[in-house]
Amino acid sequence: MSVEISSAFLLDVAAGQAVAAELWDAVTEQQLVHWEDEWMPVQREFVERMKAAGVERALLPQSRHWDWRRKAEAFSGSLANPSFCVMCQGMTQGMMIVNTLHKARVASQAGKELIYIEYLENAPWNRRHFASDQPRFAGVGSLLMRAAIEFSREEGFKGRLGLHSLPQSNGWYSNACGMTDLGTDADYQNLHYFEMTPEQADTFIAKGN
Amino acid sequence: MAAAKKTMTLNLTDAEMGALEELCVKKDLSKTAVLRQALRLYQTVETRVGRGAKLFFEDDQTKEKAEVMML
Repeated sequence: MSVEISSAFLLDVAAGQAVAAELWDAVTEQQLVHWEDEWMPVQREFVERMKAAGVERALLPQSRHWDWRRKAEAFSGSLANPSFCVMCQGMTQGMMIVNTLHKARVASQAGKELIYIEYLENAPWNRRHFASDQPRFAGVGSLLMRAAIEFSREEGFKGRLGLHSLPQSNGWYSNACGMTDLGTDADYQNLHYFEMTPEQADTFIAKGN
Repeated sequence: MAAAKKTMTLNLTDAEMGALEELCVKKDLSKTAVLRQALRLYQTVETRVGRGAKLFFEDDQTKEKAEVMML
């Protein structure tokens, strides 16, 4: 598998400085090993601590059941499901799998092609609720969203994106990404469905997220 | 980031080219983009049918289902 790698930057939160990162246009075995060996132990330990502290279930990380190896295997070889990841300091910082076969629902774009984000996840140490004091790197989610917009544009979809959000991420997609919240989707576990129009994509990119 | 691509020549009949151009207008996409989407869809359907799934069209109002035969 050939992987295209682009240069990018993340913010090292503790140092307050930009650090070099890479955007890969594939999730490879290397990322899955990082997920198994580095992400999962941190996540498991955090969830156990939360449970021991009596934190209610609804507040536990909602993506904790995601199995990236199974997802990667399920979509392996599928032309409609490209994947992306962010690497920094030799470690996988975020992963994303998209789908090219979805249609827009928002009235102004209804029926037009978009890039649907099947899964997008940040490494546990970069998530605010995981890190004991502060996230290690900021900007991973935005970098993956930019990659999705760029891919949408390359495909002629003009930056249109769609996704179903876990409840803990609704605010981020709505406020930070400026996507339109089309409300709960009864056909998809009542998760909120969000879309980004070409104009919203332009705004997101212009903000320099 | 744009992955490296290979170029091919495609021979189409007038009817096929007409259908392709119609889809391009309807979808507001280039011919290449329409054909790439078609290939992705074809591969997805073949994979799912190969795993034993069936492909149906469902009438939104009557909920009547019609199976699509894949050769």
